[in-house]
Amino acid sequence: MIEVTNLGKTFSDVTAISNLSFKVDAGEVYGLLGPNGAGKTTTLRILATLIEATTGKATVNGFDIKKDAEAVRKAIGVVNGGMGLYDRLTGKEVLYYFGKFYGMSKVAIDKRIKELDELLSLGETLNRRTTGFSTGMKQKIVIARAVLHDPPIIFFDEATSGLDIMARRAVMNFVKAYPSQNRAVIYSTHVMSEVEELCNRVGIIYKGKLIAENTVTELISQSGERNLENAFFKLVERSGMEVSA
Amino acid sequence: MVFHVARKEILSTLRDRRAMVSSLLIPLLILPFMMLGLPLLLGGLFEREQTSITEIATIGLSYLPAELKTELETQNISFVEAQDLETLVKDGKYQVALDIPKSFSTQLEAGEKASLTLISKAGNLRSELNASKIQDAVSKFSEGIVTKKLESAGLSADVLEPITINNLDASSEAERSSGQLAWLIPFFIAVWTLAGGQVTALDATAGEKERGTLEALLVSPVRRIEVVLGKFLATLTFGLSASVMAILGYVLGGALLRSLFLKRLGDGAEEIVQVLGGSLQTTPLSILLLLMSALLLASLISALLISITMFARTYKEAQSYVAPLSFVMIIPAVGLQFSDFFGTNIFVYLVPILNALVLMDDIVKGQVAFLPVIATWASLIAFSALLLDFAFRSFKREGVIFRT
Repeated sequence: MIEVTNLGKTFSDVTAISNLSFKVDAGEVYGLLGPNGAGKTTTLRILATLIEATTGKATVNGFDIKKDAEAVRKAIGVVNGGMGLYDRLTGKEVLYYFGKFYGMSKVAIDKRIKELDELLSLGETLNRRTTGFSTGMKQKIVIARAVLHDPPIIFFDEATSGLDIMARRAVMNFVKAYPSQNRAVIYSTHVMSEVEELCNRVGIIYKGKLIAENTVTELISQSGERNLENAFFKLVERSGMEVSA
Repeated sequence: MVFHVARKEILSTLRDRRAMVSSLLIPLLILPFMMLGLPLLLGGLFEREQTSITEIATIGLSYLPAELKTELETQNISFVEAQDLETLVKDGKYQVALDIPKSFSTQLEAGEKASLTLISKAGNLRSELNASKIQDAVSKFSEGIVTKKLESAGLSADVLEPITINNLDASSEAERSSGQLAWLIPFFIAVWTLAGGQVTALDATAGEKERGTLEALLVSPVRRIEVVLGKFLATLTFGLSASVMAILGYVLGGALLRSLFLKRLGDGAEEIVQVLGGSLQTTPLSILLLLMSALLLASLISALLISITMFARTYKEAQSYVAPLSFVMIIPAVGLQFSDFFGTNIFVYLVPILNALVLMDDIVKGQVAFLPVIATWASLIAFSALLLDFAFRSFKREGVIFRT
């Protein structure tokens, strides 16, 4: 569903990512694991057609990110930790606003809101203005907004940052349940436990480079370590890159 | 999608109570308040000062001729003998004081020039008002002496003013009735479009970045040009609404002043009302031209607001970008008071903002011509389109969207 080939991005004289290649198949939750500043967000922004790659190419749901940007955007949903909401609109109004962009009718939006209410327990967030929402309440509407049009692909970028334990669990349950035969998820995070719990395969990204890619079990086994955190440091060391804070 | 984006921005601004007060209510009320409240308040204070009896400190009251004393008393002045007059006025114990020298009466009787010392506080309105009451009484008394002297010499008072100038006003009825509106209408449109539009522009651009909603908007399939145009349309709506409110407030204030308070304001009230635009004359054509010009000027200002505020990362940063724009609007608008010195150079009508202000000034005065209208409108449309194109291009730049 997603194919990334030799993707690179340079901002002025800073290389954010280079020669990044990976594939995500239907039914998968693919983890992009790396510390802050590793290039995860840049990768997802390129795939979401928000910024252009300097080199390489990628297809999302069969559409080229450069040539068919609009088709790519129709096929994806994006959830990130820093996403906000319009504080003078109610949760429902936010969903109506975005639903129209996907060509959805009012009836279709209402039907989908009902489904999402059951799935995410949106409850009072739908009819209250979003100002004063807790981070968890906000994130529920952010997720609902991202999947309103039932996209085959979702990108989660540090989606649990700043959430309390209950809200974090709700997000993780949603990610677990989302993939199917026609759907895939890229889950970008620096939290090892989330990757261990959610991802079928993981790409370890460090200083803009993909240094290892496999299932969690295989990555641990390859490194000869006992857990993913130790495996991460081992694999970075083996790649010849210096581990720096 | 343009209207869908605009509708959301308008709804969002409408729900911002502070924005509603500052961009719609204040422009509507501030001018009637200034026009009605201020003259009535000041008029009341002046009237009270004129009619109430004012005590003035004096030295040498006995040297004051009885006739002058009576004249002063008819101006509601009473006298209190005192010492150190300057200190008394300085300390505010008396509004004014009058020092009458011993030789005052004898000098007058001998036909010599006599002098009085009037002590008041410059810059103190009450003190100056009471000083003018004394000056009026003394002038009247002096005129009486001159008239008597002329009569005793067998001369008419006309010898003092041998030539009379008859003034004939050649301005049109529209020019006369426009009063200060001629430059104030363009001024309000420029200033209030900026003030009213910036609330929406800031929220729709920098606010969107600050809240973290921009990324969500841009990953949806909406085209960026539609987003820019939608935000522009919403900004234009509020900018124009604010300026229309300001003009309504002004015209309403002028009309109320004329119909309700004309008598109360006494002498010279007609002139005040005219200056304040209370007798503005409009024709359907002039209203149409004015509205079209206002719309195009508001479009230019809205496009300018969107293209500038888009670069800011936060609401606060955007405010600092917009603040200098007020001067860009105010300087040419204030300069319109002196538009008669500009002449009729067609190039003036090609300079954005200034052209709209001069054209609206012409329309209100009833002096509008075909070529300036076309030049102004074409220039405003062209510059608005250029600015919107610039905003659209900026909105596609990663450095602008993800500036951190």
